[in-house]
Amino acid sequence: MAPSDSNVIFRVRGSLEFSCWLESSNVLQSQRSISKSFNDLRSKVREESLVFNICNSPVFLWPNQDCQATVGNVSASTPCGDLQKHIEVEDWNGGGKKKRKDKKNVLTVISLTLMTEVTVPAEENLPAPYLSTEKKRHALNMVLPVDCVISTAADESIGIVCERLIGALCCQLSDMEKVVLQHMKGTAMPVPQLFHFMLPEPNGLVSVVYPANISDSQLESYRKELHKKYELAEDRPYFRRANAFQFPDQPYKDGYLRNPHEYLNHPNLEGANLYLVQGVYSYHHYMQDRINDNGWGCAYRSLQTICSWFQQQGFVERAVPTHKEIQQALVDAGDKPAAFVGSCQWIGSIEVQVVLDQLLNVTSKIMFVSQGSELATKGRELANHFETEGTPVMIGGGVLAHTILGVAWSESSGQIRYLILDPHYTGGEDLQTITEKGWCGWKGPDFWDQQAYYNLCLPQRPKMI
Amino acid sequence: MGRGYVVEAVLEKYFSNLEAGTAAFTTGLLIGQSSPQRDFVVLSTKTPQRGTEGSSGSLEDVDTEWVTEHAKQVSRMLPGGLSVLGVFLIVLPELSKEAMNVLRKLVFAVDKYLSKGRLWDDTYEDATERVALQICSKTRKVVCKTFDVKDPKSSAKPADWKYQNGVSFNWPVVTCSVGLNLHLPVSDRSSEDKHKCIKEGLQRWAKRIIASTCLINGKVMAQEAELVTGSKKSPKLSQQKLQAQVLLPPTECQPELSSSVAAQPSASVLIRGQVSCRAYLHSNKPKAGQAMEAIKRDIMNTVSCRVDMLFDDFFMNQAEERGAVEGQQSLPLRVFAPVPEAGFCVCDYMFPGESVSEAAEHFQEMLDCSITEESIISGLEVCRVEPPTPTPAHDTGVSREEASSHLQMEAPKDVPKKQRSLGYFVGAAVAGGVALLAAVTSLLYLGE
Repeated sequence: MAPSDSNVIFRVRGSLEFSCWLESSNVLQSQRSISKSFNDLRSKVREESLVFNICNSPVFLWPNQDCQATVGNVSASTPCGDLQKHIEVEDWNGGGKKKRKDKKNVLTVISLTLMTEVTVPAEENLPAPYLSTEKKRHALNMVLPVDCVISTAADESIGIVCERLIGALCCQLSDMEKVVLQHMKGTAMPVPQLFHFMLPEPNGLVSVVYPANISDSQLESYRKELHKKYELAEDRPYFRRANAFQFPDQPYKDGYLRNPHEYLNHPNLEGANLYLVQGVYSYHHYMQDRINDNGWGCAYRSLQTICSWFQQQGFVERAVPTHKEIQQALVDAGDKPAAFVGSCQWIGSIEVQVVLDQLLNVTSKIMFVSQGSELATKGRELANHFETEGTPVMIGGGVLAHTILGVAWSESSGQIRYLILDPHYTGGEDLQTITEKGWCGWKGPDFWDQQAYYNLCLPQRPKMI
Repeated sequence: MGRGYVVEAVLEKYFSNLEAGTAAFTTGLLIGQSSPQRDFVVLSTKTPQRGTEGSSGSLEDVDTEWVTEHAKQVSRMLPGGLSVLGVFLIVLPELSKEAMNVLRKLVFAVDKYLSKGRLWDDTYEDATERVALQICSKTRKVVCKTFDVKDPKSSAKPADWKYQNGVSFNWPVVTCSVGLNLHLPVSDRSSEDKHKCIKEGLQRWAKRIIASTCLINGKVMAQEAELVTGSKKSPKLSQQKLQAQVLLPPTECQPELSSSVAAQPSASVLIRGQVSCRAYLHSNKPKAGQAMEAIKRDIMNTVSCRVDMLFDDFFMNQAEERGAVEGQQSLPLRVFAPVPEAGFCVCDYMFPGESVSEAAEHFQEMLDCSITEESIISGLEVCRVEPPTPTPAHDTGVSREEASSHLQMEAPKDVPKKQRSLGYFVGAAVAGGVALLAAVTSLLYLGE
């Protein structure tokens, strides 16, 4: 079930109308009524009137009618990968993702919408309509979201894929039923929220239901169960809401680029291994958020990139701090006088360490090199950092600050390259410019000022889920 | 550059017969279909008699309320694609000066009344011009004008009126059968409130129908694609029948308004069953998008009008103390009937226990159309629910005289339970509540 090059992910989304009646004083009746309604929905999903529409295509499939389709060359035995040729691809530009053919981890996602056919084949002897009044009761009506994914080989038949999708829908309804019953408060039903998390191999994409009225901090025991179930170490979050998998066709609402390094070709060093940041960060740089920090804000931007990593891995819930908030944190920590706030003063690795501690409760290690040429010898330490902590590293020295996202290092030859994210970029969120002009790129040891001294801030990953 | 009206030749004879009458004026409705380039008029029907016309010979006797109620009843009998396109007025030469003013008033009143209570709104593609046809009963001269009903200051624009044979032959027809399984929360304070809640629920359902995907003959078609392919040169082409399938998109989940939903005490109404739907397209290069819109509108209209009929019937019979609309009630069944010498069907609704003979009478009264009982297609929908226990009056046959005595506005005790003549409906409007009464009243005050 792990994602690999020949795999395709099918994702079906839509909604189902949930409706039941409760007697407010009778808890058992309420539970039975809710379970019955979920059962009705599980039956509904197997009805002949259920239709899948392949998004952005003229293909409509009836999964419970042997995959009858609106397009001639699509049937139950057609390989599911063939569906792609019916899809009209949208052309995103600007801040969207441009798929280069050689990008690693290309995830093919085929999105489907759940629809209901209201027309029936019969033309005569139709049972004429009637109107029926139901007496007053405590009615619970909710539109339940559905969002199921399966991963499959591209040559698997459409018939099998549809069967699996229907099975996944039923499973998700059962998960929602469990969560709802567990977290009912009187006659109030929690709204189920659906998340998908990308777990390390061999698990792949996994779906989880959370009750909307319970925060992450209160769901720790549930997450512990999930960690056990999927045999994951309990030292990093995988199942916090912030860890939700971002599908390739869903642009990030905040407009920041995510992981531009994934679009680069990695260097071809003999005997070298790659040690990269683990997880998702956003690219923060000069001039963003309508703040003109050209010339002094580079360390602030690197710090923002680091904070974004902690937020998106689910370690913290607070948003990425602004320049002012960073400065205020330094004042609050006693590191700077009050007049610091609102100034255009440069900060260094020590300040980055203080702010990470003050705002995010994150400790960091400081690495010092007395001259830039020494950085070439720090391969092992940096490699270890990326392997165990996996956090982005802020480096300050000379008059510049940068973010190190990884190293390519050969233990035998000692050769090294650094994956650098440059906060000095002043342009827009244009992935092509950023990757082609080296604003995110691999640099050699000569990138550093060989005489200047450098401080590196290496944030430590908290051990929690 | 006015609109062009292509009119079924049979209508010329219909007007001749009316012109030969002795009345000072005759009003009536023009029925047909609009297309972007021109309109097709395929049926006309004079306004039914209301009581004994104590005709003063003046146009002040034109009964706007009666004409609009007639238009509403007629529009319930039209499948998708067809609608009331305008009004005609046959007048003596002495009255011709005022005629166009009267027509203007009628055209606006009819459009306003028909738009009320509809589950869908006109789109920008819908024609807003309605036709006003003035005919001189002596000279038979025809003056054809249009008014833009969306512009209250609209003046009469000239339009072409041209007779042609076989206008509606070879009109393509789109059909489907729709399953209903609606669950609507309602207030049970009163039947008026319940009706209002049901209408609101139907409006939400209608939004989904409008947003739905419509397949034609099992395929996705582009809105602009031409519906009828193949050569149109052969005049004996059989009518093209198209099957529609309607796929509803998922209901939108409320964007996390609240993190939990509490049970609310509420009564609810279920509407279940299957309805037969049909829409006609014109023969002037109709587009797939028009077909989809026409069949969707027919679906919405047929459900809405049956619910209205149930409540109209209830309000009319309130005097007989039948109590609230409760329990399980059958909605009327739909029957279709081909119009003689034309290429389309009209439809009617029958409550369980009614027979096709009543439908035939209804066609005669409302559409001035002689349709035989045998030609009425009545097996499409079948009532599965036992009709409610008939009142004693129901069992007595309706004599011809009683059937034609639809003159009273109040509900006399010996009127059979489900009589559906025009007077009956105007009575229902009066009895049915403030809202309807206000609507009728406001129409009477329509000024220039």
